Amino acid sequence: MKFSAWQQSYANKRSSSFRASSGPLDSSSDGSIKSASAIFWLILHGLCCLISLVLGFRFSRLVFFLLFSSPAANIYTAPFRSASELAQTLTLYSTPASTNIELPAANRTAGITASPNSRVVVGRHGIRIRPWPHPNPVEVMQAHRIIERVQKEQRLQFGVKHPRTVIVVTPTYVRTFQALHLTGVMHSLMNVPYDLVWIVVEAGGATNETASIIAKSGLRTFHVGFRQRMPNLWAERHRLEARMRLHALRIVREKKLDGIVMFADDSNMHSMELFDEIQNVKWVGALSVGILAHSSQTGEESSASVIPKEDEENRAVPVQGPACNSSNQLVGWHTFNSLPYVGKSATYIGDREIVLPRKLEWAGFVLNSQLLWKDAEDRPEWVKDLDTLDHADEDVETPLSLLKDVSLVEPLGSCGRQIMLWWLRVEARADSKFPPGWIIDPPLEITVPSKRTPWPDAPPELPSNEKAVTGVQEHTLKHSSKTQTSRSKRSS
Amino acid sequence: MRTWVWVFSVLVVYGFVLRISADQKARTERISGSAGDVLEDNPVGRLKVYIYELPSKYNKKLLQKDPRCLNHMFAAEIYMHRFLLSSPVRTLNPEEADWFYTPIYTTCDLTPTGLPLPFKSPRMMRSAVQLISSSRPYWNRTEGADHFFVVPHDFGACFHYQEEKAIERGILPLLQRATLVQTFGQRNHVCLNEGSITIPPYAPPQKMQAHLIPQETPRSIFVYFRGLFYDVNNDPEGGYYARGARAAVWENFKDNPLFDISTDHPTTYYEDMQRAIFCLCPLGWAPWSPRLVEAVVFGCIPVIIADDIVLPFADAIPWEEIGVFVAEEDVPNLDTILTSIPPEVILRKQRLLANPSMKRAMLFPQPAQAGDAFHQILNGLARKLPHDKTIYMKKHGPKILNWTAGPVGDLKPW
Amino acid sequence: MMGSMERSKKKVQLWKKAIFHFSLCFVMGFFTGFAPTGKASVFSNHFASSNISEPSSSKPIETLPQAANVNRSLIAQAPAAIPARPKQPENTEIEEEKEPKLTPRRLLIVVTPTSAKDQLRGVLLRKMANTLRLVAPPLLWIVVEPQTDSNQVSEILRKTGIMYRHLVFNKNFTDTEAEMDHQRNVALKHIEHHRLSGILHFAGLSNVYDLGFFDQLREIEVFGAWPMALLSANQKRVKIEGPVCDSSQVIGWHLRKMNNESDTRPPIHISSFGFNSSILWDPERWGRPSAVQKYSQNSMRFVKQVVLEDETKLKGIPPEDCSKIILWRLQLPRGTASN
Repeated sequence: MKFSAWQQSYANKRSSSFRASSGPLDSSSDGSIKSASAIFWLILHGLCCLISLVLGFRFSRLVFFLLFSSPAANIYTAPFRSASELAQTLTLYSTPASTNIELPAANRTAGITASPNSRVVVGRHGIRIRPWPHPNPVEVMQAHRIIERVQKEQRLQFGVKHPRTVIVVTPTYVRTFQALHLTGVMHSLMNVPYDLVWIVVEAGGATNETASIIAKSGLRTFHVGFRQRMPNLWAERHRLEARMRLHALRIVREKKLDGIVMFADDSNMHSMELFDEIQNVKWVGALSVGILAHSSQTGEESSASVIPKEDEENRAVPVQGPACNSSNQLVGWHTFNSLPYVGKSATYIGDREIVLPRKLEWAGFVLNSQLLWKDAEDRPEWVKDLDTLDHADEDVETPLSLLKDVSLVEPLGSCGRQIMLWWLRVEARADSKFPPGWIIDPPLEITVPSKRTPWPDAPPELPSNEKAVTGVQEHTLKHSSKTQTSRSKRSS
Repeated sequence: MRTWVWVFSVLVVYGFVLRISADQKARTERISGSAGDVLEDNPVGRLKVYIYELPSKYNKKLLQKDPRCLNHMFAAEIYMHRFLLSSPVRTLNPEEADWFYTPIYTTCDLTPTGLPLPFKSPRMMRSAVQLISSSRPYWNRTEGADHFFVVPHDFGACFHYQEEKAIERGILPLLQRATLVQTFGQRNHVCLNEGSITIPPYAPPQKMQAHLIPQETPRSIFVYFRGLFYDVNNDPEGGYYARGARAAVWENFKDNPLFDISTDHPTTYYEDMQRAIFCLCPLGWAPWSPRLVEAVVFGCIPVIIADDIVLPFADAIPWEEIGVFVAEEDVPNLDTILTSIPPEVILRKQRLLANPSMKRAMLFPQPAQAGDAFHQILNGLARKLPHDKTIYMKKHGPKILNWTAGPVGDLKPW
Repeated sequence: MMGSMERSKKKVQLWKKAIFHFSLCFVMGFFTGFAPTGKASVFSNHFASSNISEPSSSKPIETLPQAANVNRSLIAQAPAAIPARPKQPENTEIEEEKEPKLTPRRLLIVVTPTSAKDQLRGVLLRKMANTLRLVAPPLLWIVVEPQTDSNQVSEILRKTGIMYRHLVFNKNFTDTEAEMDHQRNVALKHIEHHRLSGILHFAGLSNVYDLGFFDQLREIEVFGAWPMALLSANQKRVKIEGPVCDSSQVIGWHLRKMNNESDTRPPIHISSFGFNSSILWDPERWGRPSAVQKYSQNSMRFVKQVVLEDETKLKGIPPEDCSKIILWRLQLPRGTASN
């Protein structure tokens, strides 16, 4: 079959080359219309060249086929087989201890081997255990590289197709909880698989303290100082933060940064789906924010301090965000119900009462940055110019102040039903101090010598037996095991 | 000079053509690399199947007695019957039939714990064949060569779950000329007739559907397996079960963080398969495994550890390109083998696995869909047509089948 | 005659040229035939398998941040503008280009117990996942939770892309601390059963990490400890607890409430140390009779014994006198956050 095919193609080649050769001959003998024939000749020549190209191609495939297809019916598995064989030659199997028992069994069953050309032997088999017990660390790394590649491919295939840059605005200031909060937000941002610009506005001027935290992100950052210091009253803090955010927006406008602006406070927590979801926004989008409000009386009596229990299925978390009707159209806003907390909410930072959110937190909004540009061509006319807000003395509470018509806001996240970001304001008292840069200097005082390292499950050395049952349990982490430990110690 | 112009222009064209073909390759691989047109074949009009009327004790009564038969791995025999009853390939005229089907549920005889054990199957089968051969002329015409039987048990028509016993028994003598539709498939094995159709085991389609998660869920498990490593109850000595391959998987890779292997069956089993890159499909008592179906449906590259296995619809599905085959003796090197596969090859396998026609071919959905496993069985039967003339018995010629062959126990009436 | 001679000469030349061109094209075609095609044929298979060493050809769609010049212009008003740097190597996109050098790293095993009673569990799990996602592999996250009908935890974990094991257990607890203990033991049992080898760390959901912490963790041979800061809402004082070191040698501990008569000695915090998990399943390697371990119900006790016996095995982190805080812990009111 193959041979005849080859013959045929060879015959083809012969005939075509014959035809090809007849071309120039004819044209040259017919000399009267030279130029036309020259063109014809050229075309014919080119055509014949193409034909011989194709023929060469076919020929090589044929040669290839004849050469390589016969030895292995299934070339595909060959590399894997050979790879494994290679590995095998490097390996000496340690036969299981039960080899001597196995042999008679194998003999017994050898009679009913399935077939001579099958590798499969019926009966008892040894369990092959390799002598080296641990995974090869290089292979582990290779596997992780494969996983990364697969996940990247998944993102390419199923992820957002033409992602826009994410412009993140974060107001912050140096305080005890800054490292804790800012690091959390930073880690979320570092996971974002899109281009990202992070504008960090710092109250009281840009400091090294903040710079050293955000430098670790490796992200493209603008670290901008803001002259005013962060006030101690919650209400004023909210107001200043709004102005800091506006300041960041002005940078977006000046630099003509193109992308989606989101507001990530350092007290926000994000689900990674959020960053995909905001890619859907056209001009202004609104998201639901889970409010993890709490009063923080650390300790004993504050059993029910966290208001409504968090349970996503039941939507028990108070939520701020867009409210939709059944046909998924924006009809209004869910706001945090602060009525039960009248007179009980925190007024200054460090107040032991509950910290309430604003009516609508900025974090729940995303904007197309072109809204902020000075001369964007297709900017909708229902948007105010950023500069008009400068002169307004009013308190800019939400990005909604930018809009003339609030009904055009796009509700995101299944029309607000899906919560992808949370708000948890926890701060230490305003006069709280922490070691600069979190470097302990001078060294801490040694309260326990190293020889007596107190272990989580160490049995109490003081004979306070009654206490060991009740009071101590609160503070020792391993009390359940402790009883066991002491018991086993006694028995041993 | 002109020559060089020529050479140059040819080179440019050549480079351009190559470029285009390369581009096309990247874009169209998913389509051109599909499981092939064979899976898309429509069997309707290419064959006619006649279904014997059997007393309900051979099928429906059994099911009434134990509805659990609808859910185990061998349930294909029941669903195939239901499918054929309403299929357009069915003919009521046996004279025009290409194939004859005997609806018999040989594995629907469960132990109290739900295990299908085939001890009564040979007698049941024998009784059914006796019935059809005495009531109609068609069996005797060919001694069953144009009949097919669905025998999805561990070792097919050998009717025993232990391989040694199954081989000793061999295929039930009465079925030796018939075409067997079975899950069991191993090359050069006495329990696999030449010309048998290898099918996937039954896996509940609705249940699998219900556990589908979005395709963008990042795959974060490198190797996944849930199931037994040792069958302590049936193989206390060890080494018979899975020919020692599963035990070797555990002993060599339990300490490997990349190998998410365990005997626990978590509630997220199906979801976990969808976020794994490789799913181990080692043999158990028989070489085939329901994991193969699950792996294909969930887009997890099956790692087939079963020497000389014959995979379902192997004539239509390019298993070599989809799965990874690891010899049983190579199990200790599984980590090396899997980590040395180039990522591009892995991605290609995943793209092929994403092909919906392949997933369809692995399932027995209710109601049936075009291209599903039922249709693939019919396609397989259609490809065997027309029947060879030699299958027809000569009038008054000698009989081939030996009705008294086989173990004495099988000869007892059912 | 001359004309015909010339003509025939010309003809021969033409012939030569034509044949030369044709053969050139033929050779071209011939070699083209050796190039791979997209068809699922024997050929393509062969090539698919032969380009093993070929690096991935697809280009990453994501570009490196190139903000250097933009930033410079901003420096005037913002002195601390930070130039963009390439992301950390664990970020997939960039890594692939500069392969194939693979430096093996030690496995990190991060154990996180979670209680359904913890109202912030869902949020904090996501937050922890965002951090762990940035840690260079290999890392195995073991998340334990009591058996429930809710699939909240598995759904959150599934989307993270982190290599994790989700363990469930079936036992009821009234006391949260006891439950957390049990959860940790469930994780330790898993590690013991699988003989996983790596550096084990208990990461409570309220912990916040500097990413450098995980690099330090990998440096541990046997046992390591570090100071951590406990931040409580609306308090003035910041609690710092942990080892006091000379270089990386632990010379003592700074722990709270030492002089309080009514309290027993407080232990070091469970998140304040990490150890080599092989202690759990390979005691002989650490000079312990294996029999002891069998009878001990509590793997932690065993770890403790190993360390107490030889405190030189204890490594203080970070090596500069353990003086930098790289782990913070948010102390929320009881019942709000878990350990």
